[in-house]
Amino acid sequence: MKSVTLSMHVSDIEQLFREQNRALIAFLQCRLNSLSDAQEVAQEAYLRMLTMDNREEVDSLRGYLFKIAGNLAIDRLRKRKVRSEFAVVQAQEEPMDEHSPVHHVVAIEQALSVRRALSELPVKTARAFVMHVIEGRDFSHVAQTMKLSERMVRYHVAHALAHCRAQVDETEVP
Amino acid sequence: MSSKQQDPIMQVAAEWWTKLREPHAGDDVVEQWLAWTGEDERHLQAFEQVSALAERLGTLDPMTRHALVRDFARPAPARRRWLPLAAAASMAAAMLSGAVYLAWSQRAASVTTRVYQSGIAQNRDFILPDGTKVALGAASSLRVTYRSGERDVEVRGGEAYFEVVHDRSRPFVVIAGNVTVRDIGTAFDVRRTGERVMVAVTQGRVSIADRGVHASPHDTLEARAGQRVSYDPNASSMTVDIVTPAQVTAWRSDRLEFIDEPLSVVIANLNRYASKPVRVADTDLNLLSYTGTIRTDAIDSWVDALPRVFPLRVSTQAGQVVLSDARHTQR
Repeated sequence: MKSVTLSMHVSDIEQLFREQNRALIAFLQCRLNSLSDAQEVAQEAYLRMLTMDNREEVDSLRGYLFKIAGNLAIDRLRKRKVRSEFAVVQAQEEPMDEHSPVHHVVAIEQALSVRRALSELPVKTARAFVMHVIEGRDFSHVAQTMKLSERMVRYHVAHALAHCRAQVDETEVP
Repeated sequence: MSSKQQDPIMQVAAEWWTKLREPHAGDDVVEQWLAWTGEDERHLQAFEQVSALAERLGTLDPMTRHALVRDFARPAPARRRWLPLAAAASMAAAMLSGAVYLAWSQRAASVTTRVYQSGIAQNRDFILPDGTKVALGAASSLRVTYRSGERDVEVRGGEAYFEVVHDRSRPFVVIAGNVTVRDIGTAFDVRRTGERVMVAVTQGRVSIADRGVHASPHDTLEARAGQRVSYDPNASSMTVDIVTPAQVTAWRSDRLEFIDEPLSVVIANLNRYASKPVRVADTDLNLLSYTGTIRTDAIDSWVDALPRVFPLRVSTQAGQVVLSDARHTQR
């Protein structure tokens, strides 16, 4: 009896994986800004689903999967923050030579298309976007610095992101 | 702004991205997002593209990120104070080094001509009689002629940034070699390197015309804020690309910014700021194209680093820094 329940549960999770995995990865990539981290966290979330012992308390498996994944993502972001603070200390010991021509030749191709797209946007829109996406500041920090509501910051970031995406599409067309 | 129509699905996907990104967004937000992705398969696809782009931009190399943060994420630096003309004049009088001198002559009652000049490594700001603000780059020269019906400024060499007081009855016209720039309520930068001219607009619009002998009356174009127009006497037409105001006026903060410009132009402009002139010995080096920033207080180290990216040698001969082609056999 017990083994029948377990195999039913396994097939439920398999179905969940088939139907929701793509959305789950997209959700986690958005949270973590890293596809490889998203894949790792998703693996762990499925593992937790398989070994859950409160099946009867959960009415939506899908909702539960995204909840677990969201919490795992928060843990990972926290660990990453500790690591990056350590990395910042290290990086400061190496001089940043942004004016050397070597740097520019390597980076310019990438940077130029982003620059073009950003320079076509209103100053505030570009600023909110760069602070959040490039500099990695969270929305509340950006809102405080720019004296805007978080809702407005999200609006600016979304607008810039869609604009940059459109520009990339344009340049990718051969 | 791009003329391209914004894809509405992409716009909504980007909005979802910002909503979902909040680590403590409620379960209901996730549920609503899942419902949206279920509506149309293009929804999740657009969302994935937005996420992938954000990841790519968030993981650019540190130098590029640093530069983007510097240019876009910081509030505009405090404007330099513009000296009124009288103050500039008295300052010039006080500075016998000749950093700025003003010569003016009264040709007729209604015509005033002044010459403004700056020395090597000396940027200068001043205000013209009509209130137009001018920032003059180093080793640059302007001849300003005001008549009742027109304000003419000739850029004889170097670079200047103008914030023009618009006056419909008295157009403001900048002449740089074969190029004329007519303001339509504007701030813009003009840089003349020999016969090459670059006009970059930071506010409003200008109309730019080619006055060259082979130019037809149709060789006129209008440039708007964020656009840069380059004129090369050897090219068949003027080219337009995009710049940020921060890039255009970087030289006012002691940084020379170049976007895809020939080494000859880079060196000529660098020499306006260099204590030791730099000379390109082999003309084929002039075809190399450079993009990047040069700090005017660190010109020597920039020059020293050049052999790491370009096939050239740096040597010093008779007080000059000489760049020669490393591909040529050692002489």
